[in-house]
Amino acid sequence: MNEALSFFFMSWIDPKLLFLTAAGTFAGIYIGAIPGLSVTMAVSILISFTFKWNVNDALALISGIFLGGVYGGSRSAILLNIPGAPSAIATGLDGYPLAKRGEAGAAIGLTTVVSVFGGFIGILALAIAAPAVASLALKFAPRDYLMLAIWGILLVGSLSGGSLAKGIFAGALGVLIGSVGLDPMTAEPRFTFGSLQMTAGISYVAAMIGFFGVAEVLAQLHELKLKAVKQDVSKILPSWKLLRKYLPLATRTSAIGVVVGALPGAGGDIAALMAYDHAKRSVKNPSRPFGEGAYEGLVAPESANNAAVGGAYIPMLTLGIPGDAVTAVIIGAMYIHGLKPGPMLMVETPHLFWFQVGALTLANFFLLFFGLTGIKMFAKIVETPKPILLPLILVLSSVGAYAISNNPVDVYWMLGFGVVGYFLKMYGFQVGPVILGMILGPLMDKSYRQAMISAEGNIARFAGEFFTSPLSFIILLALTLTIMSQTRWWQRLRGRA
Amino acid sequence: MHTPRARLAGELVFTLLLVGFSLFMLWQAYRISQFESLTSAGAFPMFATAVMLIAGLVIAGQTVRARPVPAQPDESLARQFVRQITPFVVVAFTLAIVVYMLLLDVLGFLTASYLFLVVSMWLLGGRRIVLNLVVSALSLAAIYLVFQTVFSVVLPKGSLIQGWLA
Repeated sequence: MNEALSFFFMSWIDPKLLFLTAAGTFAGIYIGAIPGLSVTMAVSILISFTFKWNVNDALALISGIFLGGVYGGSRSAILLNIPGAPSAIATGLDGYPLAKRGEAGAAIGLTTVVSVFGGFIGILALAIAAPAVASLALKFAPRDYLMLAIWGILLVGSLSGGSLAKGIFAGALGVLIGSVGLDPMTAEPRFTFGSLQMTAGISYVAAMIGFFGVAEVLAQLHELKLKAVKQDVSKILPSWKLLRKYLPLATRTSAIGVVVGALPGAGGDIAALMAYDHAKRSVKNPSRPFGEGAYEGLVAPESANNAAVGGAYIPMLTLGIPGDAVTAVIIGAMYIHGLKPGPMLMVETPHLFWFQVGALTLANFFLLFFGLTGIKMFAKIVETPKPILLPLILVLSSVGAYAISNNPVDVYWMLGFGVVGYFLKMYGFQVGPVILGMILGPLMDKSYRQAMISAEGNIARFAGEFFTSPLSFIILLALTLTIMSQTRWWQRLRGRA
Repeated sequence: MHTPRARLAGELVFTLLLVGFSLFMLWQAYRISQFESLTSAGAFPMFATAVMLIAGLVIAGQTVRARPVPAQPDESLARQFVRQITPFVVVAFTLAIVVYMLLLDVLGFLTASYLFLVVSMWLLGGRRIVLNLVVSALSLAAIYLVFQTVFSVVLPKGSLIQGWLA
């Protein structure tokens, strides 16, 4: 026990590790906040110059960047309506309307506190419940992953508040774009049209910057003459009364975050969307209607996505399975340092586990400090006149797209997706499901084929397994309920009740 | 309860284009491995494109039923489209982005971005030229420092500049 504690506090007392965790958290917040810069990208680049470092130094820095980055995405979602990361897609739905009212300071303050709260719940789960949650995740069959991914995309579609058909179309379009390139199982070309360039597939980062960066810039050109709203950032710290009011919701959504984060393939993005959906369904009298600046719409996704960080570490450290894109990169970093994440890691190097838990806890404290400071400077961005701000966002987006693989083609893809995204936005489509479809498409494809192979290509057996396995049946029920709740029939039924 | 949106100019054409695109991609998905097996490389893409096609048809039906946004007096559909969807500033800025991307390869990141920033700031209504010049230079310097130095991202140097250096 004493040994575990000494490793837990290692990063707290070593000045170098303390500095690296702080620097990582600070950098993570700004990397996450800048549209076009993703935590995955930052961690991948970091690995290239930390592989010669001591493993603890690298892990401390990466922990800070990960935790800070997941939170940082919310800042640009609130201030610019451009989520800095996929996990902040839901945050913008109510955060941006709050900023338009000039309440960005209060929104960021509340977001910071609930993010830190969610972060602690996630870390606690990692420390206490890691073996139990990991063993549950082990029981998931490929068909369960398939349903989880479909569920995730449908949830994004249902968030749009508009046509379900448009949400489904956007999600399927994302799956289609995600399947461009060589088939990972048979290496057959799919939708490459004979182009060698297309065999490598289309980067979802380029698409994300296009759909959320360029399309947003083009859409904002319609409101050029609107004066930027003066943001009130004098009152940042939320009152104790307000926090106490949202504590039960934040606890529930943090739990959602932990569980979803622990499921391989589903990270902070799905956790945030599910939490938002939960808040929409469970909160009867929100501070304002959802989508128009409800505080509940900030509390739910932000506590969940930071709780998902701790959750994502569970399968990563105990099973060697990444919870999301960032943890996939972190697994790569651990391999570079000669570690093998998986069941044996806990047995052979338990100190590393406790060091990791300690570094994440420390990073969470730094998050509280950095999250509540420096907002005034950041809020100035929204007060910048649009003729200056919009071209700058475009240049930043181009650099972000170019940085993916130093390839100008990614910049062209970004522009193409930007223009398509602009028309989709103008005609009432949501672009969130497209991105999620792109990210989850390959997982869905693989899971579907694995499930079909295990059913020996027999459709009846394939379908039957959804009902015979209790776990699959529960997920199927949840999925069906989500679809049903979007139909007019259901809404009519609720209206009558 | 979902209330149907009013139909904007060009929305029906756009929706039909989406249906046509879905049909074309379904055909392309079929061509990957036809009906070889339920686990072939083309099976899941066929499923995704079929979902797109069905959803596209439902959206087209909804769009046909939606009432159009009222036009201004004596306004043709084309003018309405330009006003609602593609006003001059959107078209001009998009063209500026295309030119910027082409120039990136020729002039390199710094020169092309500086030109793009100054020109587009003016295009979007920023008429204080000196301010535009200074803001563009300072923000570019910051972007360059962060990406080139901190993140070691290799920014495009440009064939023209490289030609001069060589």
